[in-house]
Amino acid sequence: MKSERSVKSLRPKLSIKQQIMSMRGQRIIITVAFMLVPLLLLFLFTYLPFFKMGQFSLYEMRYIGKRTFVGLQNYADVFSRNDVFGSLKLSLYYLAASFIQLALALYLAATLSFKVKGGAFFKGTIFFPYLVCGIAIGFIFKFFFTRGFVLDTVLGYLGANLEILPYWLRDTGVNNIMLAATSIWRYLGQNMVLFIGAIMSVDPSLYEAANIDGASGWNKFRHITLPGIQSIVVLNMILSISGSISAFEPPFVITNGTFGTATYFVMMNSLAHEKQKVGLASAMAVVLMLIIVLVTLFQRFVSSTFLEEDKNGYTFSERRAMKKRADARGGRGV
Amino acid sequence: MKRIISLILAMGMAATMVACGNSSNNSAPQAAEPTAESAAEQPAPSGQDGGNISAAGVAIDQIILGEDYTDLSAEIRFKTHRTDIMDTILQGYADDFREMYPNITVTYEGITDYSETMTTRLSTPDWGDACMIPTTIPLTELENYFHPFGATATLSEDYNFADNRAFGGTTYGLPSTSNAQGVLFNKAVFAKAGITDIPKTPDEFLDALKKIKDNTDAIPLYTNFAAGWTMGAWDAYISGSATGDPDFMNIKLPHAKDPFANRGDGTGPYAVYYVLYEAVKRGLVEDDPATSDWESSKGMLNRGEIGTMVLGSWAIVQMQEGGPNPDDIGYMSFPISVNGTQYATAGADYCYGINKNSSDEVKLASMLYIKYLVEKSNFDYDQGGIPTVKSHEFPSTLAAFDGIDLVADAPAKAGEEDLFVNINVDSEVSLNMDNQHVISIVEAALTGSATLDDLMADWNARWTASQQKYGAGA
Repeated sequence: MKSERSVKSLRPKLSIKQQIMSMRGQRIIITVAFMLVPLLLLFLFTYLPFFKMGQFSLYEMRYIGKRTFVGLQNYADVFSRNDVFGSLKLSLYYLAASFIQLALALYLAATLSFKVKGGAFFKGTIFFPYLVCGIAIGFIFKFFFTRGFVLDTVLGYLGANLEILPYWLRDTGVNNIMLAATSIWRYLGQNMVLFIGAIMSVDPSLYEAANIDGASGWNKFRHITLPGIQSIVVLNMILSISGSISAFEPPFVITNGTFGTATYFVMMNSLAHEKQKVGLASAMAVVLMLIIVLVTLFQRFVSSTFLEEDKNGYTFSERRAMKKRADARGGRGV
Repeated sequence: MKRIISLILAMGMAATMVACGNSSNNSAPQAAEPTAESAAEQPAPSGQDGGNISAAGVAIDQIILGEDYTDLSAEIRFKTHRTDIMDTILQGYADDFREMYPNITVTYEGITDYSETMTTRLSTPDWGDACMIPTTIPLTELENYFHPFGATATLSEDYNFADNRAFGGTTYGLPSTSNAQGVLFNKAVFAKAGITDIPKTPDEFLDALKKIKDNTDAIPLYTNFAAGWTMGAWDAYISGSATGDPDFMNIKLPHAKDPFANRGDGTGPYAVYYVLYEAVKRGLVEDDPATSDWESSKGMLNRGEIGTMVLGSWAIVQMQEGGPNPDDIGYMSFPISVNGTQYATAGADYCYGINKNSSDEVKLASMLYIKYLVEKSNFDYDQGGIPTVKSHEFPSTLAAFDGIDLVADAPAKAGEEDLFVNINVDSEVSLNMDNQHVISIVEAALTGSATLDDLMADWNARWTASQQKYGAGA
């Protein structure tokens, strides 16, 4: 800091024009010119609306009409109202579904990234639902689950009587599971493709060496593939968690949040646009953002402590193994 | 050279940013406190721009259609909720209108989810030129968004429900059509089920539904649960149909103590929701409401696969056109009798409104077109509704309402115009606003999670709390 200032003072004083034409001035101008547009867009469409939303959350207001400042009352309502905060519980369904989805995707990716008959066909088929728009998927499944339609008919062929089948979208015991299942169907392919990409980047000579050593398929997966794609697995997990907290399309399109399927997002939408409680809905959105930030921070903590190499180049498990060895040595010494 | 260009670019961008900042600064206070500005604007008629046409001073009843302002040229951007007939019937009106006013073009834009979307769009000044006024706009706010049509007292002489979108003696919207609220039924199904007399009380109606279930294959009452808005439609019956009292909705309800409680005589809001709750609980509705489909329900009622549906008179024509048996579609009053007399809620459907921020030419052109729609297009008659012009005749579809008193909700007392909306929004009962509260009745009846009395007690509690908040205690 100090040295820099002294260097500066040694420089001859430049006129404005010279300053602009200098290397340093040119660099600043170019940087500013290039950054201005993206920064402006970012500010206009991300930070400004978000700031406005934060402001709205302190008011009791509708879209039309006058606003009353109510301080943190909306936040108190978010946490005290059972129907609002309780709707976060539904995320557990989507969370459970996302773990099933990750496991399935990992399995399929591990299988399909090696030479398989019809591999490209399977990859395409599994990835395809991700390309369909979420609203269309909603309508597909609305009719899929309708009483006496696709699902019931197929189960009927298998011998299930219509009377013993539940109403898929009405019975509160199954409807959330069904909705979560649709999101597995949709996102499975996307996860799988990410995993396949990651598996491709694992050094093939490791597999070759393992083959020579006579490792089984499971052992290759456990000791070569999985450690190789660890960071992608964690990334997918985090995306799934924040995705399941903010589940919206399946319950909104298929059931419109009826029969206990209203997730946090569906609730927020209905409060803001139907019940015209814009302040409360904004507070819900801010709270949701804080939750997602917390989850992300937790993820960073977990991955930096347990997965990444520390400054000495050791991972968590390596450190633990070393500590064990040291302990064992010490123990023998005593 | 490059350096100069990059410098100019950088400066240009900085300028845009300043410009953006400016324009948002300008619009911000406009949105935040429109009242002050409009109050200043309102008394001064904007007719001072010399010989130019001014829309401000002209009331809609003073215009002679086809003679005045025929050389006016303007483009009207019209927002509508009728996406189904936008390119056919509505475009036909626009073309027909052009023969009288060759220089005025009307461009329709259809919006599904109309009420929600339009409410949001109205918060910007340049949303278009004419629209159907969403009922979410409190009456007290009308003057900040819409151009006045004239004095309510004068317009009421010529038009039905001219006071529907009015505030402070000025009307800001005229009804596109008006509805009487009743129940659609299939005459053939009723005959087959052995129902000879039209049911007049909730219990008679439920008995009739039971007969349909026992004697025919038809679904007694189709709720159209999955469509959502069809559930919200039940709110229309709680005022006139259920009480026979024009003052109930806007004058008494904001002050009433426990308005949703069981009155014990089969009247009032409770009786309306009782019909729905019991029909669902007794299995007199479609097997799986969660997956019902609105478009196919029209044909099903027409073909006799559905016994009854609870919808306003606007639905009659759609049901008649839904299949091969238009003559089987019947319309009856909601099965509630107040001291032996049946009433039917009647009221304006969406009203036409004009953007107050449009230019004077466009405002005047919009007013001409709306006058045409109201007086010449016959839209209201064709849709089976109550005509907006008082001298026009009623369509035959409403013949079933002969002898039944039509009750229109009287406007709120001066000074209390926004009281009902405030309590309605704050309590989240959301009558005539959202569908969730009626949906919760069906959910409770299907799953047995709550009795109707539980639900109504909850609504009453929330209603009372909001009444206290706005100082309207019983």
